[in-house]
Order: sequence, then C-alpha cells, then structure tokens
Amino acid sequence: MSGISLAGVKKRYPGGVLAVKGVDIDIESGEFVTLVGPSGCGKTTTLRTIAGFETPTDGSVHIDGNEVTDAPPYERDTGMVFQDFALFPHMTIHENIAYGMEASGDYTTEEIDARVEEMLELVELPGVGDRTPDQLSGGQQQRIALARALAPRPKALLLDEPLASLDKQLREQMQVELRRIQQEIGITTVFVTHNQEEALTMSDRLAVMNDGKFEQVGPPEEVYNDPDSRFVADFLGTANIFDGTVSAVENNYAMVDCDDVSVQAAVQNGVSAGDDTSVVIRPERFRFDDGTAGNAGAASADGGTNAGGMTVFEGEITFKRHLGSSVEFHLETDSGREITVVRRSGMDKRGPGDRVAVSVAADDCRLVEA
Amino acid sequence: MGSDTDTSADTDTTPATEAAPELAADGGTATGSDTASGDDAGRAGLKARAKWYALSYPLFWLVAVFFVPLCLLFVFSFWVNIPGGQYEFGFTFENYLRFVSVDFTSSWPFIEPGLYLSQMWLTIELALVTAVFSLLLGYPIAYYLARMDRPWLRSLLLITIISSLWVTYVIRAYAWQVILASGGVLSSIGVATGILSEPQSFYPGYWGLVVGMVYVFLPFMILTLYSSIRNIDGELLEASKNLGAGSVKTFRRVTLPLSKNGITSGMALVFILALGSYVLPRLLGSSAERTLPVLIEQQIMSESNYPFAAAMSIGLILVVIVFLWALIRMTNVTAGSLGGNEEVATDGGSQQPGSTGSSPFAKVRGGFGSAASAIGLTAVAGQIGSAIDSVVTRVDAKTRESVIWVTFRAYVAAAMAFIAVPIAIIIAVSFTPEQFLTFPPGGFSMQWYVEFFTSESWMVALVNSFAIAGAAALLSTTIGGGLAFALDRFDYKWSSIYGTFGVLPILVPPVIIGVAFLVFFLELGIAGSRTSIIVAHGIFYAPFPFILISQGLDEIDRTYEEAAMNLGASSLRTLRTITYPLIRANVISGALFAFILSLNEYIIAWLLSLFLVNTIPIEIFNSLRYGYSPTIAAASVVFIALTVVVMTAIDRFSGGIWE
Repeated sequence: MSGISLAGVKKRYPGGVLAVKGVDIDIESGEFVTLVGPSGCGKTTTLRTIAGFETPTDGSVHIDGNEVTDAPPYERDTGMVFQDFALFPHMTIHENIAYGMEASGDYTTEEIDARVEEMLELVELPGVGDRTPDQLSGGQQQRIALARALAPRPKALLLDEPLASLDKQLREQMQVELRRIQQEIGITTVFVTHNQEEALTMSDRLAVMNDGKFEQVGPPEEVYNDPDSRFVADFLGTANIFDGTVSAVENNYAMVDCDDVSVQAAVQNGVSAGDDTSVVIRPERFRFDDGTAGNAGAASADGGTNAGGMTVFEGEITFKRHLGSSVEFHLETDSGREITVVRRSGMDKRGPGDRVAVSVAADDCRLVEA
Repeated sequence: MGSDTDTSADTDTTPATEAAPELAADGGTATGSDTASGDDAGRAGLKARAKWYALSYPLFWLVAVFFVPLCLLFVFSFWVNIPGGQYEFGFTFENYLRFVSVDFTSSWPFIEPGLYLSQMWLTIELALVTAVFSLLLGYPIAYYLARMDRPWLRSLLLITIISSLWVTYVIRAYAWQVILASGGVLSSIGVATGILSEPQSFYPGYWGLVVGMVYVFLPFMILTLYSSIRNIDGELLEASKNLGAGSVKTFRRVTLPLSKNGITSGMALVFILALGSYVLPRLLGSSAERTLPVLIEQQIMSESNYPFAAAMSIGLILVVIVFLWALIRMTNVTAGSLGGNEEVATDGGSQQPGSTGSSPFAKVRGGFGSAASAIGLTAVAGQIGSAIDSVVTRVDAKTRESVIWVTFRAYVAAAMAFIAVPIAIIIAVSFTPEQFLTFPPGGFSMQWYVEFFTSESWMVALVNSFAIAGAAALLSTTIGGGLAFALDRFDYKWSSIYGTFGVLPILVPPVIIGVAFLVFFLELGIAGSRTSIIVAHGIFYAPFPFILISQGLDEIDRTYEEAAMNLGASSLRTLRTITYPLIRANVISGALFAFILSLNEYIIAWLLSLFLVNTIPIEIFNSLRYGYSPTIAAASVVFIALTVVVMTAIDRFSGGIWE
C-alpha cells in the first residue's frame, strides 16, 4: 500500500496560470521523497495539494489509500512543517505541540501531556514546554515545528523548505537530524526544497520538477549519475554539457562530434548516427594527465583527442577556487571551450595560467537529449 | 474530459461539513475549478455562498441602513414643506431655490447672494481660514516632534495632543467660552494687567470662533504632518548639511518639499472636518457666524422644515464632493481608483496613528502632494522660508543657528500651551468654591463634583452616554470587523466599492448623517430613542474598527492558519484559537476607538434625541445656555478622566499605538 499517491494532478490558478501540469507519483509507506526544482516549478503547489491547501483542477490525491482530493486540510491527517515554522506566537511550546491533539478531540489531557513530553524528547529539547516561540533560536523553533507536526501521529509528514531559513551549519546539522527522526518513526515524508544538495543528501528518492512537471524521479545516485535530461544534469550539481551529433555507434559506445572535439560516451538508451545529442560530464570525472600529455597520439589542433576510450582536453587554467575538501578549476581549452573540473584538495599545485591536459573516460560521459 | 467527470464525482462524495467560511488561502479555488460546473455541490459551492453570507451582514448596515437613507435625503430635498412642521410628498425646486436665492439691490453690483448662499460661503471661508492657521501653527510643532531626540518628551507631547482630540467638541468649546467670556480668563488677565479698563467678552464673534476651530482641528493637522515629516529619511537631511546647506536652507530645500504631501492631506482633512463642524460655530460664533451645519440643525430642530434641511445637506455634500473631485482632478489619479482614494483620505481622517505610513495612505499623500503644488501652497511657504533665509544669512552661522533654535522652541512651547491650557483651565475651574465662574478660582472645593454626582439628570446622562457608547462600539466592531473579514478572506468583483462603503460614513459631515438618520428613523418610529443613537453611532464609527481590523488581518501570516488546519483544526476552531487571538489588539482598539468617539459625539445624538434622550455632551451643551455653572466644569473633568482611562486601555492593548 502506498503512503501517498498523486495521479494526473493538475492545478490551474484563477488567473489562468497552470502551475502543475500533471504529475504522477506513488510514494511508498515510510519513504522519504524530495521534490526539488527551481522556484516557480510547481513543487510547493504540489505539496500544498497533498496538504489540502490547494484543490487540484484535475487528477486525484490519495493518502494512505483514501481519496482526499477535495477533502479540507483538517481531514487529511498530514503533519506539515512550514518554511518559517509558523509556531503560534500567542501560545507556549507546550500549547503549540498539543494543538493538533486538542483539535482532534481523541486524546485525554494526560495523554496529551505525555505525548508532548515524548515529542520534546524526540527532538532533544526537553523542558522548553513553558517557553514561547520567540524565546527559542531558529534551530530550536525548527525542531518544535517538527514535534508539533508529528505529535498527532499523522499519516504523512510534509516539509516545505523547512531548512531554508537556517544558516549553513545549522542546516547541515538539521538535515541529519531530520533524517534520523524520520527513519526512527518510519513516516512517509514529502520534502520540498530548491536546494539540490539537500535533495541529494536526504532522500530515498527525489523528483526533479521543472515547469509544472516531473523531469525525473529516482534514487539520488541514479538521478545524479544518469540524468534523463539536460535540465536535470544542469540543475543537480555542476555539469559540463557539450552539444553535438552522433557520428557513429559501436559496442554501446557512441562517438559524438561536438564541433571542436569528438567525445566518446557510453550509450544507455538507443541513439543512432546522425542524432543530435548532448554529452554530460560531471566535473569530478575529469582527471589531470600529469606530464604525459600527448602520449596517446598528438593532441589535435581542436583541443580534444580520443585516446582509447578516453577523451583528452588541453588548455589553460583560468580560475581556481577552493571548496574545502575539493578544488574547482576553470579551464579554457585551446578551442575556446569552458570546462569545470573538480579534484580533491591538496593533490596538486596547479594554478591559473598553467597549461594542463584533462581526460575523461567514456563510461563517465552520459548522453541526454539535446 | 474523463477526469473532469471524476472530479465532479469526488466533489459530490466529499462530506460537506464546513459551513463556516473557508479560511484557507485558496480563496480562488471556487472560481478556479470550473469542473464543479457552477452548481452548489461540494466545497466550491459552499464557499461561493459563504462569501456572500459573510458580506451580507456589514452591507445590510452600511447600505440598507446608512447609504439608502442618505440617498433618500436627496429625494426628500424635493418634497414640499408645509409650514408648521409638516411636509408631504411632491416634487419642487422650492427648497433649492430658497437655498440659492439672491437679493437685488439698488447699487452696483445690484445683486447680492441671499442669506443661505452667503452663509455657505462663510462656512467655506471659515474652513479655509482654519486650515491655513492650523498649518502655520501646526507645522513647527510637527517638525519639532518629528526631529527631537528625547523619546519621553515626544511621547508626552504626542499624548497631550492626541488626548485633546478625544475630548468632545462641546467641552472644548466650553473651555474657550471660559477663556474668552467677559469675566473669563483673558478678560481677567487684561484687567489685572491694566490693558483692559473693564471686563470684555471676546466671543461670540468671528475671531473667537476661528481661535476655537483652530484649537479643535490643530491636532489633526499636527498628526498628519508629524507622520509625513517622520517618514523623511534622516540621512537626506544629513546629506544636505554635508553638502554645505545650513538649517534653514536644508529645511527649505529638503524637508519642506518632501513634506508637501503631508501638508496637502492635513489641509484637506482639516478643511473637511471644519466644514461639517456644528458645535463650535454654534457655541463660539454670533448669529452672523451661523454656518451651514448650524442652519441645517436650526431648520430641523426649530423650524421643522425637513425638506429645506435636506436641500442644504445636499448643498454641503456637494461642497465636499467638489472639493474631493478638485483634489483628485489635480492629481494623476484615474477615476477608477476614486474609491480607493477616498478610502485613503479617510484613513487620514480617522487619525488613528497606528495606520499612518501605510502604503495606501502614502499613495494618497502622493496625490495630495501634486494638488498642493498646483495651488501654489508650497511655493508660498517656500518664499517665506527664502525670505527668512536671506535675513538670517547676514548673521554669522553659529549665532544664527542658536537664535533660530531658541525662537523655534519658544514658539513650540507657546503652541503646546495653546493646546494644553484650555483643558487645564477647565480642571482649575471645576474646583472653584464660588457660585459663578471666576478666574483665577478663589480657593478649592469639591462641591461641584458633589453636585454632579448627586444630580439625577447628570447621572441619567452619564448612564445613557455609557450605554449608548458601549452598544455602539459593539455594533461598529461587528460591522467594521465583518466587512474587513469578508474583504480579506474572499475575492469580490467589486471589493474596492465594498471597501469604500466601509469608510464612507466618516466622510459625510455628521450633521448630515444626523439628518438622514432622523428622517429615516422618524419613518420607522424609533427616533428619539437610545436605539436610534446606537445605530447611528454604530454605523458612523464603523470605519475605525474596519480600518484597524483590516490592517490586523492584512498583517497576519496566513501560514499560522494553515498550520492550525493542517493540525486538524476546523475553520471555526482556527478562527477562534488562531485568527482572533492574533488580531485581538486590533479588534479591541477598534472597539474602544468607536466607544470613545460615540461617548463624545454631540450633533448626531442631539438630532436623534428629539429632546427625549440625554447624554453628557448634550447635557453640557444644554447647561451652557443657562450660564457657566461650574458643575459643567466638574462634569467635563469627570468625562475627560473617563476618556483618559479608555485611551490608556487602548494604549495597553495595542502596545503603543500612539507611535
């Protein structure tokens, strides 16, 4: 039985804007699914449709097997954590967490008190029940918002960019914390973010949204490594994308002619010679060819050479920046192409102005639709 | 299409439990989902109906009980008067002809405006003179308040200014009678210092009236200018000084141009208020200064000539409309936004400082600003500033600055005294041991308070005042709050028109509201009752709760309500546990504003009382006919004290709304 399922959900706003253009997804019970995409892609509208704040123009929403498409928010049994937490400012923390249970009328006062304590333990903030929201830090408010959402034992947890208003360090800490609590309770969770890093690190599956539709749905590794589209490749992480035409296909490897360079790439789905395509190469897939440039056949004037399943680019480093555990280089190849390369820190002393050669294996090059 | 049918089916199967207005932000859902095919099934239909239920209550009062009688007044002005207090249905221009009649003379220009036309002109002239004097007197105070850096002193001065606003016109006019009367303060001081050889009365008369009008309307001017000058970025002034401009030049070139919007809206506000003023011309003016509102009241209460009073009311409304129209025409405002514009003008008129600086207010000021330059007001002020500038540049900079500063502060102190002293004199007089009004009082006695509290008619008036104000405040709050809620929660095609209805009552001169309600209530047979005054006050002051509650709802973060519903709270429960607590301060302040204004209102209550209902302002007014018994002073002090208590409550609830 699925936790949440959306079938053909469309949402048109009164002004005529079609914010969601038909999305389908079955979210397993206990699964953590992230909706990620740029702002305005429809991810928040989709989440609000699940919560019941928006009624879909078309399609259906099921939660825990029950149709809730037109049910009001208070009959859906979802727990939502809002971007700015929305802790009721006129109530104490205890009253905030107790609110949902009181509204349901299914709990005695003793049960409510016990449950509030239990939730405060869960989010590791025991003893703050008598305080008011404004006496807590941003991170603490975040935990209380989570406790409040979980207290009435909802069937699904909905998270609307809950980490966006936290600073970087706290955000990373909360990513881990949120995932821990979610797995501890085993609750079906839908998480909305525009932050691709959060999407990649937290989810069982992620759904990349663009322009009101799902571009790709799958586990983080799969979506990152095997993007279905140029948009997904570009949106998640950094990608070097070369547009070109397939010149030949041989043994599941395609030669792609990209004007100034020919790139050999592994083929996942059928392409044939003459197709327009784009080659996606993640920056960390490149390797520097240390002092051995030109070993496998002289570099051609166009800057790229096929070297037995490897494609080699020669050029000059124009920019270097440290990312902590890694270093990012910007290269300009001899034919004027910009390439981004990421290597682990401390490996080399190369810097701007140095001439270098980088290579990438055919298995690390992916083809997506142009 | 297949899925369309699905959705309809789903809609039908959804338990339709929520009869209460849907609180979610998806107000447009009903219009958005055409799949429900327009019928009343499901949530969409319920919401579509809820939206009209929500609006019907406030509109019932504002349209059926207020706007329709106001329109009937127009119809009524064509009816035929039968001398002796009767009138009958008919159609005649007689009333208007009488209003605009002219006298012919034997000398050039051979034609003179008749009594009513010339009194109308006098009314307009008085309003203009009041506005100009208020500006001249008010600007330095507003400037000083806005630029001073001692918060406690500023609060003290602001509270003094605002406090005087809430004291009924009747008491304030009375204060000036005490000052200006023969044997009053001014005369006594004159005699004591040898300037006057014998006691002399400075009222009733034109200038006594002007002084009283300026006194009463100055606070409105100061507060409007204050918020306008406060909004000027302090860095602009520093930049000007940094560029080498002195204080005077900075003022003339930076502050004054930037505050011209405040100047225009302050002028407009004072003009409209002064135009509709009844109590002051009646108590401080002689028979030569009978303004239009006084004449209207006279026709009703003395002549019982209702059709003619209605015709004069229409004349007065026309003056207001022409004034507003001219103001709007001189700005870039399109006809379509007229409603919104009036709304903002009222925002200023309401003078609840909490809303100053809100964007619609600022928008209207922008409009008023252009009008100001059009009438050359700013230019004149600029020339005066320039003249001062050229005089003072001859002295060296340091002396100049300090001379300006000292003069300026002395001037502000004098103006503040002008605001505060009359009330202080009333308080002093209330403790006099003498039988007649004398100043300074020759001793200390509580006898007039004893008399006040043991007099049956005063006590009846006090109880009436409180009962009426309490009920009117409740009514105001339900009307204003209901309208604010409906407009905030639902989309209406004509929402700006409904919003205009919410502020319209306060734009109409109160004497006209009184006449319109009187005619209407006479038909209904409830005139001369407390109920009639409650209804009239409830509607007249509904704009205050409306504006305050709109503002509160506007500021609420909708996410709180969504969070509550997500946690399983029904619409009603959300309203009770989340929405109301979050806007409680606005609701209570709005109610208290209405309460205090109703408590102090005179003319509407008087017209509707038909001599059968007494309130404190009416009782004071009536007592003034028989001399200045110090009991009036004692009654005034008690009333002022009660007003201060309510104001303090507003301040407590709203967390410093005065700023």
